[in-house]
Amino acid sequence: MLTFVLRRTLQALGVLLAVSAAAFALFYAAPADPARAACGPRCDSGQIAAVRQSMGLDQPLLTQYTEYLAGVVAGRDINDVDGSAIHCAAPCLGYSYRLHQPVAEALADHLPVTLSLTAGALAVLLVLGLGTGFVSALRHGRRTDRLLSGFTLVGASVQIYFLGYLAQWWLVHSTGLLPLPSYTPPTEDPAAWAGGMLLPWLVLGFVNSAVFARLSRSQLLETMNEEYVRTARAKGLGRLRAHLKYTSRGAAGPLVQLLGLEAGALLGGAVISETVFGLNGVGRFAAQAVSGQDLPAVVGAVLLAACFVVLFVALADLAVAWLDPRIRLGR
Amino acid sequence: MKPLESRNAAETEPVLSVRDLTVEFAGPRGGAPTTAVRGLSFDLAAGEVLGLVGESGSGKSTVGLALLSLHDPRTTRVTGSIRLAGRELVGAAESELRAVRGARAALVFQDALTSLSPFHGVGAQLAEAYRLHHPRAGRAEARRRAAAMLDRVGIPAARLRDHPHQFSGGMRQRVMIAMALMNDPQLLVADEPTTALDARVQRQVLDLLGELQREHGTAVLLVSHDLGVVAGTADRTLVLRDGAEVESAPTAELLAAPRRPYTRALVGAALRLDSVPGSALPTVDEPSPARLFARRPKAAGRPERWLMEAEELSVHFPGRRRLPALRAESVRAVDGVGLRIAPGETLGLVGESGSGKSTTSRVLAGLQRPTGGRLRYDGQDATRPDRELRRRLSREVQLVFQDPYASLNPRRTVAQTLDTPLRLHTPLDAAQRRERAAELLDQVGLPAAHLDRYPHEFSGGQRQRIGIARALAPEPRLIIADEPVSALDVSVQAQVLNLLMELRERLGVAFLFVSHDLAVVRHFCDRVAVMHRGRLVELTDREQLFEAPHTEYTRELLAARH
Repeated sequence: MLTFVLRRTLQALGVLLAVSAAAFALFYAAPADPARAACGPRCDSGQIAAVRQSMGLDQPLLTQYTEYLAGVVAGRDINDVDGSAIHCAAPCLGYSYRLHQPVAEALADHLPVTLSLTAGALAVLLVLGLGTGFVSALRHGRRTDRLLSGFTLVGASVQIYFLGYLAQWWLVHSTGLLPLPSYTPPTEDPAAWAGGMLLPWLVLGFVNSAVFARLSRSQLLETMNEEYVRTARAKGLGRLRAHLKYTSRGAAGPLVQLLGLEAGALLGGAVISETVFGLNGVGRFAAQAVSGQDLPAVVGAVLLAACFVVLFVALADLAVAWLDPRIRLGR
Repeated sequence: MKPLESRNAAETEPVLSVRDLTVEFAGPRGGAPTTAVRGLSFDLAAGEVLGLVGESGSGKSTVGLALLSLHDPRTTRVTGSIRLAGRELVGAAESELRAVRGARAALVFQDALTSLSPFHGVGAQLAEAYRLHHPRAGRAEARRRAAAMLDRVGIPAARLRDHPHQFSGGMRQRVMIAMALMNDPQLLVADEPTTALDARVQRQVLDLLGELQREHGTAVLLVSHDLGVVAGTADRTLVLRDGAEVESAPTAELLAAPRRPYTRALVGAALRLDSVPGSALPTVDEPSPARLFARRPKAAGRPERWLMEAEELSVHFPGRRRLPALRAESVRAVDGVGLRIAPGETLGLVGESGSGKSTTSRVLAGLQRPTGGRLRYDGQDATRPDRELRRRLSREVQLVFQDPYASLNPRRTVAQTLDTPLRLHTPLDAAQRRERAAELLDQVGLPAAHLDRYPHEFSGGQRQRIGIARALAPEPRLIIADEPVSALDVSVQAQVLNLLMELRERLGVAFLFVSHDLAVVRHFCDRVAVMHRGRLVELTDREQLFEAPHTEYTRELLAARH
């Protein structure tokens, strides 16, 4: 198991390195002058030159990249447009000249919103997806199954901005059942936090649960016919208990993998739901950075998202290995 | 076991009494139901072993499952009566059935690897079986009981925490048996308990089963397709065909003097090590054939030119690397194997699972590149064949596969399947190819009218005939057949072997015949190579190998078969 963890960690680091290189190359692939883009439309040529130097654009590409990586590990000093020296602390993902703030700090400001949104949405997704999947599989081929399958199909086909708009109009404006979506730090007022996030959680969770429900249904149906489930029944276990103990264990692998991917993707920023519900998370931050041509911020957001995806996919792999002794103990 | 005299009347009452058992499966989408078992009746006394024998589709496994009511009640209708120790099980409440399953009646399935949960340690799986029926027993007690039971089947208690995949096939089946006997059941249903095992291990597991059965006085229903397995184990045998009883008698009597033609064919078709090699085998249609297929005269010494030669052949698979920096241990699937096949000769390649026989055949077929050694075909170097030789090999060396279900494309008709090799390797035009395809079908004993049918419309034996026709299409000089009859029922096996012997006589084609079944190899092959753990242990004439084997390993293999 230890070698497995070690190997998986090395792989994850490799992937992150590759993503960082690709994101870094964005500076050069972008049609605009990176310095002008970073500085913004109102900079004069002097300021642009300063930014160019501060960004190290006069240096060879490799040097720039290694300096950037060194900054991620150890932090570094950067000059702002007005020439003032700023220390960018340890996980330094560059400096946003538009926001006059290190990218990592700006991301950290937006991260709690995204974390809250993701955690709640995943919880809804799990309960809804697993629940419908399990019931569908147990009542396979019957009316309940067909009903639930139709329900998940609706979830899979409906767009989040449409459903989000509809739900907000009905639950907030029309009936007043829920407060307007907003973010309050849970440390300040947990009730307001949960109340403000409930609608985004439900909508994001429901829309994403469709794929999960379909996968869990088909996984469970497949595993139900496994011979070890029949053995469990032959031992005297009831149908439901046999499915809960053995079938679900056998079906878990791909579901955990999918959950890891979902978690990673959502943490990278749910641009659309954040926009629909007016939540200021990482997704919106990234979207604004793109439209404002704030390249260091874009690269930082991309890297953060990549980190989450890689981290959660690796965690999912570990969980799968832990769940399946054939992987954990080797064949 | 108690002597018969001491039994009182209550004890002589059968443990299991089945009357007029009928099992029907609902057809798909309300279609006509299929009847898997029709009006079956039998009794089973304590300490008795009843063999339930039949070919695939005879309903024998259905009987085993029905005894424990393990069918899906939504799609299955069970009628008649099943009385276990006086208690009626047909129509009993689910809660009552749960109390019976695993406690009074237990099941041992064919493949322990898929039948044991891969996610739980064997100790936990055994303990669960105990605690389900002893709700007041603590974890510690269940564990002790599991350890004792494992010990009884010859597995050290230290392996309690190990998972099924960490055991060998034979040991896994012992675990399965231990689990079934956890609660000392009155009835044990063993469904093909040794079919997935190599012959040597098969014997050991059957012996263990017999020992335990005598110790506990358990009544055993031994379900099998293999008369050989039943012969040495069961007191009485019931032959099943199409869900109904054909014949039922004490095993020795049934084997020695079968009354019904079907039983006679079944008994005759089961090849034993005393058959006359090369003779036509009895089938249901022709129960006592008197024909000896001609063999090519034994070559006096070496032929002018070997058809296929392999020297020091090895295939090493890279092992899994645990970390990028560590060196991987490679797996030696084939290790320095040398063998030759003369034109028109049949070489048998035998070994247990994992011996490397299939990998060797794949190399000779050109499907697997060897990592070492040399290969010659018809005097030419074929280790790295050039374009022209590759073309020749793809025409002159053909394959017949084990699984007649997986090896035919379900979306292509027989005509389409046979057309491809003809189009690639012959100058015939479309009309001529169809004519030739009809001819090929005729050669393997299928009517030409079947040309436009799809594989699913044929039985397993018929599909294997189509596979053989496909191999014959480009008029090969060598056919490599990897377990070509292992997946077939014995009576079908005999028919296909008869066909192969006839074709061999008529066409003079050479065979590399890979099999784990020594009786089949003895009947069909001229020379035999024995493989063990990737190495060639022995290669000699058939008579030599079966009369006076050189190596200890070969002797063990032969002993397990008797």
